[in-house]
Amino acid sequence: MLKIFRDLLRFNLEFAIGTLIVSIIVGLSVLSFFSPYPPEDIYVVAPDVPPSWEYWLGTTSRGQDVFWQMTAALRNTLLFGIAVAAISRVISLTIGLVSGYMGGMTDRVLMSINDTFIIIPLFPILVLFYFVMRDSMSWALLALIMAALGWAYDARLIRSVAMSLRTREFTSQCIFSGMSPRQIMTREHLPYVLPIVFSTTLNNMNWSIGMEVTLSVLGFTDINTPTIGSMLYWANQHTALVAGVWWWIAWPVIAVMLLFIGLYLLATALNEYIDPRSRLSRMGGAT
Amino acid sequence: MKTYAIYLAKRLLQFVLVVFIGINLTYVISHATPIDPVEQTISALTSFGNTSPEAIETMRESLRELYGMSGTPLEQYVSFWSRIVVGDFGPSLSAFPTPVSELILRALPWTIGLLVVATVLAWLLGNLLGGLAGYYRKNRLLKAMGLIAMGLHPMPYYVVAFVLLVVFGFLWPVLPISGGSGIGVGRGFSFDFISSVLLHSLLPALSLVVVGLGGWFLGMRALVSNIVTEDYVVYAELGGVDRRRILTSYVMRNALVPQVTGLAMSLGAIFTGAIITEEVFGYPGIGSLLVDAVHAGDYSLVLGITSVSIVAVSLAVLVIDLLYPLLDPRVQVE
Amino acid sequence: MTLHQLNNHLNPAPEALPASPALRVDGLKAYYQTRWFGITREVRAVDDITLRIEHDEIYGIAGESSSGKSSLIKTIAGAIRPPLNVVGGTVNFDFGTRKVDLYTLKPEERTAIRWKHLAYIMQGSMSVLNPLRRVRQSFIDFAFRHMGMPMPAFLKAVEDHLLRLHLQPGVLDSYPHELSGGMRQRVVIALATVCRPGFIIADEPTTALDVVVQKSVLTMIREVQREMRASILFVTHDMAVHANLTDRLGIMYAGRLVEEGRTRDLFRNPRHPYTLHLIRSLPRIGDAEPRQGLEGTPPNLADPPPGCRFHPRCPIAMDVCRVMVPPMQALGGGHRVACHAVTEGTVQ
Repeated sequence: MLKIFRDLLRFNLEFAIGTLIVSIIVGLSVLSFFSPYPPEDIYVVAPDVPPSWEYWLGTTSRGQDVFWQMTAALRNTLLFGIAVAAISRVISLTIGLVSGYMGGMTDRVLMSINDTFIIIPLFPILVLFYFVMRDSMSWALLALIMAALGWAYDARLIRSVAMSLRTREFTSQCIFSGMSPRQIMTREHLPYVLPIVFSTTLNNMNWSIGMEVTLSVLGFTDINTPTIGSMLYWANQHTALVAGVWWWIAWPVIAVMLLFIGLYLLATALNEYIDPRSRLSRMGGAT
Repeated sequence: MKTYAIYLAKRLLQFVLVVFIGINLTYVISHATPIDPVEQTISALTSFGNTSPEAIETMRESLRELYGMSGTPLEQYVSFWSRIVVGDFGPSLSAFPTPVSELILRALPWTIGLLVVATVLAWLLGNLLGGLAGYYRKNRLLKAMGLIAMGLHPMPYYVVAFVLLVVFGFLWPVLPISGGSGIGVGRGFSFDFISSVLLHSLLPALSLVVVGLGGWFLGMRALVSNIVTEDYVVYAELGGVDRRRILTSYVMRNALVPQVTGLAMSLGAIFTGAIITEEVFGYPGIGSLLVDAVHAGDYSLVLGITSVSIVAVSLAVLVIDLLYPLLDPRVQVE
Repeated sequence: MTLHQLNNHLNPAPEALPASPALRVDGLKAYYQTRWFGITREVRAVDDITLRIEHDEIYGIAGESSSGKSSLIKTIAGAIRPPLNVVGGTVNFDFGTRKVDLYTLKPEERTAIRWKHLAYIMQGSMSVLNPLRRVRQSFIDFAFRHMGMPMPAFLKAVEDHLLRLHLQPGVLDSYPHELSGGMRQRVVIALATVCRPGFIIADEPTTALDVVVQKSVLTMIREVQREMRASILFVTHDMAVHANLTDRLGIMYAGRLVEEGRTRDLFRNPRHPYTLHLIRSLPRIGDAEPRQGLEGTPPNLADPPPGCRFHPRCPIAMDVCRVMVPPMQALGGGHRVACHAVTEGTVQ
């Protein structure tokens, strides 16, 4: 495992850049624990100060230090992405493995439901959810509903791998030796699909963070928890751009864009490592 | 022909299923949550002034009736469905007494126009360039495009739209950043109106194309670089088949098949993107309507938009599915 | 003498036989060169091969899987792409009207001889037809530009060709997935021969088919060859097919040619211990003796054994075999073998 990581770092440029970016973002979010101000508090510093030696990234119109505010926002945003990804992985894995292993009618029914969740436009549903929840809307609730809606695409990927595993000889071996389907899926097939689960986790985080930013900016989440989205929401509320407080908008946007690119590069590099076909084309390219 | 009939039946079934699950989802969310939309609306309406308790009670009754929340749960469920089947979502609260369906019908053409143009443009351009990039792997320009696509593809619609808004609204204000047409330009088939509409749609369309393009580009590039190793491509090359013919009829043509499936699969996400983009640029489509409806506490409108979105997207997917056999003769066998 | 050779003998071709062979391969080397995560590997799939194929001859190449036979004919067909690269040697064709050195040709010249003079039937013929194009389109794509006739006449010629091969012209309207495996293989053979090329390369064209279909496809290949008097380079691991079809036979082991001669000579009097093993492994009618497998596995071509590459598995290996590569030795009658034991007379 560690060796694969080292090899990827050394020979896959995308992976190296992705790791660098994500490490920086994670580092920043860890810094939030050393913040001199509680992130929820407002008017703790002088408002509207441009980037300077005292306030590296400036301060907001609400009297918050952009740098420390951003570290807290990044931490919450990342945690949100991880939470959604973790919960939705459980659903994807269950549906994908069962569908791929059982095949037949089970597969058809599960995949029809699966495709439904792929096709349905999620944004109106999330907005409706916010609409009925209003003030009861919380960070955790949003993560839960997004996980419940965002598992389908990856379940399909996992299913395709599970289907190919089913035809392998070791699976028949397991069946003949009397293992139950549940045992086969969890003990034998799960390890094979884990690499894909990992790369889909990164893409799913990208998706959920993007959605969270969108919903928060529109004010459709709990805007009092600092996240990248709610930072932008408050900036818009104070018409930061018109007022010339560009640093309030620019830094979080740059940070979140970097995060998207970093996660995406990591996912791509991992996918390429997993997929032997693209590995072959890389080999061809080396000569 | 019989196989096509089976295929047709399967696709129709999937369509029905999507609508069924989607609408039920909206029902569950709107009915099974602990928060009562009627109380929500009342608190929103009464927050501006003093209203007598009797008036509130009458309001509560009529809202219950209006939202289909009177009667037993079964009655509620049946009435929920019957409203959707006939497309009657009641009057809008924020634009009383205009029916919700009329508001939606007014906004829908804007969304569909923007969405269709941007999606088709992104899909065609992305596939063309991505296909070329997969086929001519050494080309520097196409490689550079790949890098740009990799940077743009992971961006959510909102961020790209927002960045474009900042660039064209504040740094280099040459394009209209808000609205669907110029203020004071009369509607109708006049040159002024049409050019104004096109001009106003430029930024929202651009941001949709920018996000979409990257995904199609990267997907097509990966597909093509796999397809060039397929036996039939290698064989055609060995057979000395014309290079352009190989590129078009052997490589691109075959790679487009999964890309069409991909289009059907991502239509929901693209629709989401379009309505988010609309909100950013104040485009008078479904997206802006939805956000305004939330801010105005207009429950029927939010519910109506959600339901119509689900039906519209699954209908579009159905159309793509039905045309798919024209592209791939093998589909009828499965 | 096979019937076919007798036929040639009694009815010699009216035109004077060209002096040079249809194919001359000299010292050909082609290696897979890969670099993946910093590890460079070189697999010597084709290592110093020299052979001649005459006009109007079916030449067979035999050997077990991963003996390099597929790489060899891909190299001869000019069908290689990285990571397989030609490292040395030449491939010269004589198509009667023109002589070409394959690896000095410009790409457009190579394209011009393909299908007109040099046709190729690929391994895994099942998937060589574009699944989204009707068979008719494939014929047009591959052959139209060579035939120099207007479209209706061309299509008529294709139909006539199919009828000659006992195929219904109706297959032209089918998509590949609508045809059975054997049918698809026959269509591919018809496609490869429609321009009446002088040289046909066939890579395991019958391997994926069941025995009955296999027989009819082999009959078809033989009939086509007899009618067109083309040269065929035919590769399969199946010795029974070689015995039935080929005029001359080359045996490959671990990227090298170890023995070559007239097929009947090789079967009657195999000299290389590896050839002997291949022929002994064939079942015979009335012989109930269990077949003996060969000990060990084919060598790793990234790191082949020194000397004769067969020595780790050879029952009669000597000290010299472990250090010196055996040279190709002519035995008369076109029979050649690369074995120290034969050269030194320790065997027969």
